[in-house]
Amino acid sequence: MKKFSGILVSVVIVFALILSACGSKKNDGASSSSPSASSKAPASQAASGKKLKIAIVPKLIGIPYFNASETGAKKAGDDLGVEVIYTGPTQADAAQQVKVIEDLISQKVDVIAVAPNDPASLTPVLKRAKEQGIKIMDWDTQADPSVVELSVQQIDNEVFGRTITDKLVEKMGTDSGEYAIVTGGLSAANLNTWIDWAQKQAKEKYPNLKLVTDKIASDEKQQVAYQKTLDLLKAYPNLKGIMGFSTVAPLGAAQAVKEKGLQDKVAVVGTALPTDSKPFLDDGSLDSALLWDPGALGYLTVALAKDLAEGKMPTDGQEVANVGKITVKPDNKTVIMGPPTEFTKENAGNYKF
Amino acid sequence: MLKLSKESMLGLILIALFLLMAAIAPGFLDSYNLSNMMFQLPELGILTLGMMVVIITAGIDLSITFTAAFAGVLAAWSMSHHYPVAVAILIGIGAALLCGLLNGFFIAIIGVSPILVTLGSMVLFEGVILTITKGNAISGFPESFSEIGNMSVGPIPLPIIIFLALAGLTGLLLNRTIWGRSVYKVGINPVAAQFSGLSVKKVLLGVYLFSAFMASIAAIIMISRYNSAKVDLGSSYLLLTVSAAVLGGTEISGGYGKVLGTVYAVAIFQVLSNGLNLLGIPRTVVDILMGVILIAVLTLNFFSAKMNHNKSLKVSPR
Repeated sequence: MKKFSGILVSVVIVFALILSACGSKKNDGASSSSPSASSKAPASQAASGKKLKIAIVPKLIGIPYFNASETGAKKAGDDLGVEVIYTGPTQADAAQQVKVIEDLISQKVDVIAVAPNDPASLTPVLKRAKEQGIKIMDWDTQADPSVVELSVQQIDNEVFGRTITDKLVEKMGTDSGEYAIVTGGLSAANLNTWIDWAQKQAKEKYPNLKLVTDKIASDEKQQVAYQKTLDLLKAYPNLKGIMGFSTVAPLGAAQAVKEKGLQDKVAVVGTALPTDSKPFLDDGSLDSALLWDPGALGYLTVALAKDLAEGKMPTDGQEVANVGKITVKPDNKTVIMGPPTEFTKENAGNYKF
Repeated sequence: MLKLSKESMLGLILIALFLLMAAIAPGFLDSYNLSNMMFQLPELGILTLGMMVVIITAGIDLSITFTAAFAGVLAAWSMSHHYPVAVAILIGIGAALLCGLLNGFFIAIIGVSPILVTLGSMVLFEGVILTITKGNAISGFPESFSEIGNMSVGPIPLPIIIFLALAGLTGLLLNRTIWGRSVYKVGINPVAAQFSGLSVKKVLLGVYLFSAFMASIAAIIMISRYNSAKVDLGSSYLLLTVSAAVLGGTEISGGYGKVLGTVYAVAIFQVLSNGLNLLGIPRTVVDILMGVILIAVLTLNFFSAKMNHNKSLKVSPR
C-alpha cells in the first residue's frame, strides 16, 4: 500500500511541476527559448546582444504599493527590451529577502535592484552577488551605500517636506493661522525627516504660521488619528490646517474634519495613497494628498538598471521617458525621481494603489 | 510486496525531485547553486528538529521563531557592546533556554495547553524584543563571528555541518537515552506514561528546553549569515517548521517522528523552493504549490494508514 501511495505522491508532484513549468514558459514568451543556453553563458555575454536580465526585489510582494511598482517595472521591461524579474519575499522578513537574492544570484541575472527590509542584513549577500559580477542597486529604500553602485530614491526628503507646507498654505488660503501635525509614529525616521523639513519651511517662509502643539502620534492607525484630531479640533477652535504624515494619518484627520462639518474651515493635507484617500478628496475633507507614483519608480529603476548594465551612469537633469527629469545628487550615485505627485479629487481615480 | 517505511519513501521522493530539478531547472547543478542550497537549508532544518521533538509529545511551540529572534537579538546586542564572540553566543543560548524554561514551566508544571502557552509567549517575546530594539536592527559584528554562517570546510558550508551534527545528536538523544524514549511514550499516552513511573513533567520541560536550544543555534547561524538581528528574524519560518516536521512523518497527535524523515522533508522543501525559483515561477505560486503538495502528501499518508488499519482488522479474526 505504501508503495502505491508513494508512486501517487511522486506522480502528483511531477505533474504539478510540469504544469508550473509550462505556465512559466507561457509567461516568458520569447525569452524562454534559451534557458539552458543562458545558464551556461557567462554574465558578460549579456552585453553582446543577449537580453539583459534585471531583477527587481521589493520589500514585500502582494501589497498595492509594490504591485503598482511591479506594473511600472514590467512595462519598462517591455519598452526597453529587457527581461524583468520582479520577485520578493511574501513576508517582510529579512531572512526571506536574503534567500530571494541568493536564488537570483543562481539565476545569473545581470542587475539586482533591491528595496531592503533591513539594510544591514543584505550587505553580505549583496557583496557575494557583486563577486559574481552582478551589478547592485537599491530603490525605494537605501541599502548599505558601500555595496550599491546606484541608488534610486523616489523623492528628495527636503523638497517633499517643504512642498507639504507650501501645499497647506495654498489650501488654507492664507499664510497666517494655527496648524497642527498628526504623524504615524514618533520614532519613524522617514516621517520625522519630512516633518523637520516641513517645519523648517514654515519657519523660514511663513512666519505667521503657528504650530499649536507638538506633533501628535497616531500609531499608524486611522482610528487613532481620527480620535486625536477630534481632540485637536475641540482644544483649538481656531485651527486652520492639519498636516498628516504616514499614509493613514491624513485619512483619520479628514474623517474627523468631515464629521464636525469643518471641510471649509480646516484644510487637511498629507501623505496618502490615492485609492484610500479618494472618498475624502471627493467630499472635500481632505484637500490634497502628496506622495510619489510607485509605478513610475519601478519604471525608472528598470530604465536605470539597463543603463547601468550597459555601463552608463545617469546624469543630473537627464530626461527619462515616461518618468521625467531626474536629479542626481553630488555623490553621483543617488538618483532622485522628481517632485512629489499630488493626488486630487480629479486625478485620484486614475491610480491603482 | 516491497515494504517501504515513510522515511525511505520521502528519501525516494527527494531523489526524484532532485533529479527532476537537475533536468528542468537551469543552473540547478551549478556549484554556486548547490552551495547556496546548503547555506539556506540549515536554518529551517535546525528549527524543524526542535519543532519535531515538541510535536512528538503532541505539543507545539509557536514561540520557536521569536525565541530564536530573542536569542539572536541578545547575542547581537552583546557583540555590539564588545563582548567576546564566545560570551555573546553563550548569552544568546542562555536567553533562549530561559524562554524554553518559561514555556516548559507553564506547560509541564502548571499544565496549560502548549498551543495557548506558546501563543502567549510568542507575543510576549516579540514585545520584549521590540522594547529592547525599538524595532531597529542591531548589526556590525566582528569578522570572526560572520565566519560561522558564511564559512565552508572545503566545498561543504559550515552551517550544514552544524545541522547534520545536530540531527545526529537529536537522533541519538531520541533513540539511545531514557529521556528520548520517554518523549515518545509521553506522546503516545501521557497518563499511561505517568503510571508507568515516568516523570512526565521532567520530560516535557526537557522538550521545550530542547526546542529553545535548537532555536538559539539557528539564531546564531542566521545573525551570522545576515550580519544583523531584528525582531522579525526568521519569523517566516514558523509555520514552515510545523509543515516540514509533519511532512517528515511526525504525527501531529504525538508519539511518532524520526530525525531522518525530518531531514528529508526539509531537503524536499529546499529543493522545491530553489528549483521553482530557478524556473522563474512567481513566489506566490511557489507558496501555493508547497501548500498543495503538503496537503496531498498528508492526505495520502492518512489513507494509507487507514487501509493498513483496515487490513489488520480483517486479518486478526483468523
